[in-house]
Amino acid sequence: MNKAKYLIPLLFLLTNLFFSGCDNPKLKPPRSDSPSKEEKTGQKGEMIDREFARELAREFGKEFAIEFARQMKGAGSFSLTEINGSVEKNSSGGSSGILNDRGEAHPLLAGCSEDVLEFYQKHSDCFSIASTGDIPADLNWQEGTDEKEFSSPDAQKGGTWEVFMRDFPRTLRTIGPDANGAFRSYLLDYNVMSLTHAHPNSDGYYPGLANSWAVGEDGRTVYFKLDPKARYSDGENVKVSDFFFFFYFMRSKHIQAPWYNDFYGKDKFQKVTLYDENTLSITFYKAKPDIVERVSIRAKPEHFYGELDGEFLSKYQWNPEPTTGAYVALPENVDKGKSITLVRQEDWWADQKRFFRYRFNPEKIKVSVVRDYNKAFEIFLKGGVDMFGLAKTEFWYDKLPDDHLLVKNGYLSKVTFFNQTPPPSYALRINSQKAPFDDLNVRIGFHHAMNFDMVLEKIFRGDFVRMNTVADGYGERSHPTLKAREFSVEKALEFFGKAGFTKRGGDGILINDSGDKLSVELLTGYRHFEDVLVVLKEQAKKAGLELKLKVLEPTAAWKAANEKNHQVVFSAFNSFVELFPRFWEPYHSDNAYQESGDSKYQDDGSLKPGLTTKVSTNNFTQTAVRKIDHLINQYREEEDLGRITDMAHQLSQMIHDHAVWVPAWKKPWLRIGHWNWVKFPDDWGPKESRDYEEFQVFWIDQPEKDKILSAMEKGDPVSDKPTIRIYEKYKSE
Amino acid sequence: MFQLNPLTKKKLRRFRSIKRGYWSFLILVFLYLISLAGELLVNKRALVVYYAGDFFFPTYGEQFSGKDFGLGYDYEVDYRELKRKFAKENKDNWVLMPMVPYGPYEMDYRLEGSNGFSPPNFERSHYCGTDKTERDVLARLLYGFRIAMTFAMGYLVLTYLIAVAVGSFMGYLGGKSDMLGLRFVEIWANVPFLYMVIILVSVMPGGWGIGWQVSSLLIIMVLFSWTGMTYYIRASVYKEKARDYISAAKVIGAGPFRIVFKHLLPNVVSTLVTFAPFTIAAAISSITALDFLGYGLPPPTPSWGELLKQGVNNLRTAPWIVVSTVTALVFTLTLVTFVGEAIREAFDPKKFSTYE
Repeated sequence: MNKAKYLIPLLFLLTNLFFSGCDNPKLKPPRSDSPSKEEKTGQKGEMIDREFARELAREFGKEFAIEFARQMKGAGSFSLTEINGSVEKNSSGGSSGILNDRGEAHPLLAGCSEDVLEFYQKHSDCFSIASTGDIPADLNWQEGTDEKEFSSPDAQKGGTWEVFMRDFPRTLRTIGPDANGAFRSYLLDYNVMSLTHAHPNSDGYYPGLANSWAVGEDGRTVYFKLDPKARYSDGENVKVSDFFFFFYFMRSKHIQAPWYNDFYGKDKFQKVTLYDENTLSITFYKAKPDIVERVSIRAKPEHFYGELDGEFLSKYQWNPEPTTGAYVALPENVDKGKSITLVRQEDWWADQKRFFRYRFNPEKIKVSVVRDYNKAFEIFLKGGVDMFGLAKTEFWYDKLPDDHLLVKNGYLSKVTFFNQTPPPSYALRINSQKAPFDDLNVRIGFHHAMNFDMVLEKIFRGDFVRMNTVADGYGERSHPTLKAREFSVEKALEFFGKAGFTKRGGDGILINDSGDKLSVELLTGYRHFEDVLVVLKEQAKKAGLELKLKVLEPTAAWKAANEKNHQVVFSAFNSFVELFPRFWEPYHSDNAYQESGDSKYQDDGSLKPGLTTKVSTNNFTQTAVRKIDHLINQYREEEDLGRITDMAHQLSQMIHDHAVWVPAWKKPWLRIGHWNWVKFPDDWGPKESRDYEEFQVFWIDQPEKDKILSAMEKGDPVSDKPTIRIYEKYKSE
Repeated sequence: MFQLNPLTKKKLRRFRSIKRGYWSFLILVFLYLISLAGELLVNKRALVVYYAGDFFFPTYGEQFSGKDFGLGYDYEVDYRELKRKFAKENKDNWVLMPMVPYGPYEMDYRLEGSNGFSPPNFERSHYCGTDKTERDVLARLLYGFRIAMTFAMGYLVLTYLIAVAVGSFMGYLGGKSDMLGLRFVEIWANVPFLYMVIILVSVMPGGWGIGWQVSSLLIIMVLFSWTGMTYYIRASVYKEKARDYISAAKVIGAGPFRIVFKHLLPNVVSTLVTFAPFTIAAAISSITALDFLGYGLPPPTPSWGELLKQGVNNLRTAPWIVVSTVTALVFTLTLVTFVGEAIREAFDPKKFSTYE
């Protein structure tokens, strides 16, 4: 009897387990998109089997990688420390013009839902509606008429552009968790239009959603007049209120994107004003020289979203928003796990618009999943992919050499295009807080012990060039003469000697009087640059320095560096194409220690003992120098471009002298291979192209494609000499 | 304390009579011994240097700096350069280099236009070509073999120690401890091995040098793979425990430790020996697989997996890497398997079973 008491629940449990295991033969889609905790816990009990655990580990890894990519991108330029830094100001909605005296919404906001209206009202210092008369009369309206188009009038429409991606996107949202994958570029970055766009060949702008724009007298307010033709892919017109809605959207907690919440926060975008159906103004917190670019936001289709709630992530997971760009992703063109085909809108509103008319030429973009890079390359050689990046030395020289049959016969082109953009900041970042690097001499010696000359010559075969300063690629703003410290065993030994490392041990590594070895750990998350580090390690031995390599998973490496546990970390941040570099995030002491401002320094400028390290910031070098701090503060406040330039030079020099950042390399070009049915403008691409897809100025020549394919079948060459092109128009050095 | 029982001895004799396995075993031992003395055969340091009337033997021990031999630098001598210099000077000085004058870490970038992936070249003594950073493939193969074999043997010893301890504990005590122990082993065995290793290795803190990293990898691998053997040990112990000689020992008053070590284990050894070669093969393959995936030994440790990866990524442009690595891998694993089969055959009880 006693036993029966336990038997029934036990049986119940077993059957439950058994059945829940059975009805769950396939793995459910990852639940990371579930909007709330309640839903997560509402899942059925799952039987953990091997397959599931494996899948879990895979998802886990991916999750980390994506988060890492997000942080790399995001944190590369902004710190998250300023989240919620704004002060809530509660003012009555009376003066903003959102509601009239009877409590009805302004006609411009006719379609707004209650939640959205409430948001505008609550932040009425941010959102206001004024009359046409409030637009200053003396504005200097610009239309980008002086700028030249950077596309070719020869471009033909049509054809399918075949591309590959390494992984199938986990969502078609362009924001929120998992949205920042490679595929997003095709949906958003290369596609959707902003109010204006920075011209990639000059410092000017060209019109996008706005036909004309003007900078106000205060230098921080920009007025825009919308193009009345602007509309979304679902046929709805772009309305001025969509720019109100943009901020409602970007500041919403439901999109689960704190970086965007912060970036489009109230402390930076202080005010949006609507004047009539076509006119609005946006006020930034500071009169920056590149103010137009900074406030040129995209439109958010309010009619599509209505209002946001906890369901946002799941609701729009596979339901892309209507776009103002040329290409639309329709759910029927999504072949899950395999490919996504984007289709060009038949009567795209910007078809005839200047700067857009000869771009976005292919009729379709087919993005297929190829997980293995080498396999993708083989597919490219078979013609299944139209273009392929050949930046890697072994691809350029060994796998597709100039005398490769496909190149020799004129089927394929190899192109080197010299561009001008701030390069990703590949560098060894020295943690100046950790011994032995708290000694300036050790840091300088370390610089001289790094044989990047050999890396550049042997591994990159002389195609890459040495990066010289912390802010290369910013044109005038980059220091004109500063050079990276060269590899020199003598100099390295001299500086190490000054720091007390004078004798060599039995293994050739330097030791100081107290017997400490000059041995440091080099952390990185870049497995593919292992050979570079191996060269550095072997060469550093000559200077009596032992480098212990620690190659971790990207996420783990990122985490370790974020916790400032490294001695040296090899990493790179993506740089934005913008007018002047950023110094606050990586070099201000407020990002190194928790004590703020000058309270960390003693009177003589040295650091006080016992400071608390600040983790999760971009100051990987733990730079904390009072003079640098002060200059950075001034630099951030400065609005005059000339003085900004001077200060940028000074800062580059000071950081060089502080010797915490060993610059590695940069590529001054783009290098790709493409089938000759892909045609490019005479200049190949704009100056600021970061990749071959960004500005979409190429086109697919279908008759040429047929010709090449049939010639290939017969084995006939289509050209008598190999097609290798070099575009040096924008070569800077 | 530990005497092989006559049956086991007989089995070992039988193993010797199986020629294929026995020779494989001898070759394998020979290769391993050679790899242990690898510094004498494949090394960037010279075997003997005769300079200014003195003999130097730089192979082992502290390094000599360039200044020791009249060169202008105080980092380690480049002995190949020294040899060329001595030959040019034509004095009494001479240098004797090993057969392959390259170390496993050393990049032979001296020659113009050598950017990595040089094909096999006898003149430069790169008998198997070079890899991406112009390191000698043969040198990396040899030292990789040494590391893989040592690693595999360490793995074997550690897994068997745990498995024997746990297995004989469960088998000898029986009852509840057996029941609980088995459940624990079953649960532990279901932790996916490769994923656990990958996760742990990727977050492992470093900083204590390569030796520590290699041994922690070993420990992690052992931790998640000792379970397989426990079942066999447990079963053998169960079987042996019921025999009369154990009862006899008990009657005499032998304690459990004495029974386990003196009486049980010598009889269980045959099980262990039968599995050993296969465990070695498994260990070599898994360390190679881990290296291939990039979760194995820390760079720039010479390893077969890393070579294999380079080879596969550059299959068309540098086929010599994949050819030499795969040949070495197949050859070694075949030898180990031959040994394993011979042992299994020698220890097969069927041959001796008689019906009474």
